[in-house]
Parts: sequence; structure tokens; C-alpha cells
Amino acid sequence: MSGKVITITSGKGGVGKTTLTANIAAALARSGKKVVAIDADIGLRNLDVVMGLENRIVYDLVDIIEGRCRLRQAMIKDKRQPELYLIPAAQTRDKMAVSPTDMILVCDQLRQEMDYVVIDSPAGIERGFRNAIAPADQVLIVTNPEVSAVRDADRIIGLIEAEEKGPGKLIVNRLKPEMVARGDMISVEDILDILAIELVGVIPEDESILISTNQGLPVVMTGANGSSAGQAFTNVARRIEGQKIPFLDLTAKGSLLDRMRGWVNGR
Amino acid sequence: MINQDNRRQINVKGIRDGLLITLGNAAYDDMLQDLTAELTQKQAFLQGSRVVIEAGKRPFSATQLARVQEQFTRHDLELWAVLAEREETRAAARKLGLATRLPGSQTDLDGNALPASSHKSAADAATAVPVHGGLLLKETVRSGRSIYHEGHIVIIGDVNPGAEIVAGGDVVVWGRLRGLVHAWALGDETAVICALALNPTHLRIADQIAIPPDDNNGNPAPEQAMIREGQIIALPWQPRN
Repeated sequence: MSGKVITITSGKGGVGKTTLTANIAAALARSGKKVVAIDADIGLRNLDVVMGLENRIVYDLVDIIEGRCRLRQAMIKDKRQPELYLIPAAQTRDKMAVSPTDMILVCDQLRQEMDYVVIDSPAGIERGFRNAIAPADQVLIVTNPEVSAVRDADRIIGLIEAEEKGPGKLIVNRLKPEMVARGDMISVEDILDILAIELVGVIPEDESILISTNQGLPVVMTGANGSSAGQAFTNVARRIEGQKIPFLDLTAKGSLLDRMRGWVNGR
Repeated sequence: MINQDNRRQINVKGIRDGLLITLGNAAYDDMLQDLTAELTQKQAFLQGSRVVIEAGKRPFSATQLARVQEQFTRHDLELWAVLAEREETRAAARKLGLATRLPGSQTDLDGNALPASSHKSAADAATAVPVHGGLLLKETVRSGRSIYHEGHIVIIGDVNPGAEIVAGGDVVVWGRLRGLVHAWALGDETAVICALALNPTHLRIADQIAIPPDDNNGNPAPEQAMIREGQIIALPWQPRN
């Protein structure tokens, strides 16, 4: 068995890499795959918090690399899913504690027993980013519908192409359809116009994400399909698995309730 | 299956200086086997050509390189240059009397200008072959890239914000121009910059600088920027009837 390594990156910070990593990993695990998520943000770890596994950390990625533990010992099993693991980042070290070669070696071992290795990249274009993309078979670039995030995504795509990991696939996170409809937010089409890469997900802005993130419970695990973002995460995971899933209709104006009302009234 | 993938990694492409062969990153023995198969298969078509190898990050010892060279000789091809990112590979190539740069090439892998004395390879040859003093790029030039070229630059694709194009001659963008372009950087004021949609962060021609007006959000139309009476102006392209 040879698993696939997927790196989630963005250039800009705060666009939702960690939340996406947690949810995509959880969604893949829910569909019965063996998945390990790796936090490559050494020194600023928080994937463990978002996944609700913080207080189970004993060993971390740097311990594996420096030989203080075996790979399996640092893999925290998420008991809510049959086969979901986390390899946390070290908090007391920095990015220089890991090299791109180290990441390739660790991932080559993980590939043998896992279906997917999902890596949460740190922000920036320096060592941490290079570590995160070195082992990747597939790079997912996250951007928000803001000019600054799109600029950074463009830069990142260029770097990924230069590393021959290209062209990468795009996820647009935190889209507010009603703002796009008013012309106050750049649309997915405008973003694709600049970045010119394949789109694999559009995640709407959703308060339930903030709540679930603070609770350490990825929203796809709650099975709350009332959450449009939760459904969008699941769809990204399915597209990663090669299924053809149509994009959610986010263009319908107003809340879910308005939409239902419109439907009852026959529009 | 794996073998097929590797086969596809051997990529043969015609450039001004002959053939450019990319070796991919399969293990050395597999690569050599695939290369031999590829050359045998296409022998009638390729024979007599001069060959440049694009080695990329792959390390080669002089012995390994000599075995590759032998394959080319056996198939009636002349290996004359090796482009490599690793100094050890370039050293091995020089040992065999092979060139490690293409003549006339001004850019490296990222399209950046090469210092004249550098041994750095012109590995960009695959995407940026200088033809008759011009540089043709068929790709999106993304933020953070700098393209320098002494002659004219033609880009088929977009130039995104944060990218920088500096040409010794004219610049033609068959796409949307949203980055920075400096045409005729050497000082002649007759240069032009054309784009299907001219929406740059700013333009320079010779020593003039122009910042486009903000109201440029209407329907994009092909425009041509040039210097008239000491100022850069942009004129919409009009078909002559």
C-alpha cells in the first residue's frame, strides 16, 4: 500500500489551513480511510487543539526525527474515528529542527501503512513551508476571498511549480455568498481568473466552524449536515478521493430558511 | 505501470540548439533503461541531432554521465551540454568536456538574470528559449517571479500582480498584464508594451514611469503603451479597415 501525501498551505496566515487540515483528515477517515494528520508548524502548534487532542501529546514530530521515539509512539489515535491519527508539532523548538529530507523520510514510512498523510503547513514561504511541501504528492492551496490572500496564494503556486509539485489545487475558504452578490467580496470566478488552477472546494463562512474549532471537535465529526461548511469539507475530501461532486449552490441569496421559504412558495 | 510512468519522464523536446532531453527522477538504472528504449524507438526521427540533457536536481557522477553519453553515441546522437542544478553534476559534465550552459541564454530556472561569470546552468531552456533575440514564455508569470531578458519578451499567459518583467526591447503579453513591466530598460524611447488587458501595477518605458488610472475596471481591451511627447500613454488597439 502506498498512501498519498497531501499538503495544505496558503502563504498568508489565518486563512484556515489548520481547520481545513483537521476537517479534511477527519472527513477522509470517516469515509473509512486510514489517515494521519501532521502538524508541520513547529513552534506554533495548534492542529492538536483544533482536533481536541492537545492533552494526549507525549511525543512529537521532532522526537521522531531526532530518534527519541518510534513513529507509532508519536501517532496520537483519535478515538472518535476508526483510523485517524495526529503527529503533533514540537512546541519548544523551531522550524530549523526539521529538514525537507526528514519530512520525506517520515512520510515515506507513513505511506506504507496509511491511505492519506495530510500535512498542515505553517504560513510563510521559508523553511517551514519547504518542509511541508517536500514530501507532498498533492498540494492544496487555501485562500480567502480577499486580495491579500489571493496575492500570497499566487506567490505560493509559483513556488510550488518551481519545486515541481505543481500546479496545486485551490480551496476558497470563508466565502460570504451574500457579500459576493452585493459586489462587496471578490467572487470565486475572479479568484480563479487570477490563479488559474483547478478548484477543489469552496467553503462558506460559517459560525459553527468557530464553535467546533474552540471545542476541539472538527465539524465533519459531529455529522452536523445542517452546517454548510461541514458539507463543503466533506465534499473536498470526496473530490480528493477522485469523486466528481458538484459544488454547493452558494449563490442562492439569504439564509437557509429564506431558501426553504422560497422553495415552498414555488419561488 | 511504474515503468510506464518513468518512460513518460524521459521528455524529448526540440530547441534552437538541438534536442533538450529531460531525464525525470527515476532511479539511475531505470532511467538509463528507459532512455535507451526511448532512443531506440525514436531513432529514425532523432538521429544526427545534437542533444542537451536537462538533469535538474539529479546527481550524476562522471562515470554515470559517461554511460549516458555512450547511449547517445550508440544512437547516432551527439551529447554536447548538460544543464544541472547540482555543482557536482556540472563538474562531472565539464570533466567529459561537455558544456554546462546554453550560449545566449540569459536566464536561470526562475527566469532571473544570470551573472555573467556564473557557472549556473541555463536550465530554463525548456520554457524560455531565446529565439532571434526574443524570449517566449508560455505560462502564467506569478507573483514573485522576475523575468529579465536583453531582447524582446513575449508572454503567452497572464502576468500577475507582484511579477516583474524587465526587457531590453518591447514586451508583448498575450493575456492580462497586472504586474510590473519595464520595457527598453536600456534607454531607447521607441519601445512599446502591448497586452490584451493592460492593467499593470505600473509601467516603465526607458526612464519614464506611468501608473494606470484606477478606473480601469471596465471591459478589458487590447492596448498598447508607448512614449509620446515625453509621456507614457496607452492607446486601445484598433483594427485598421
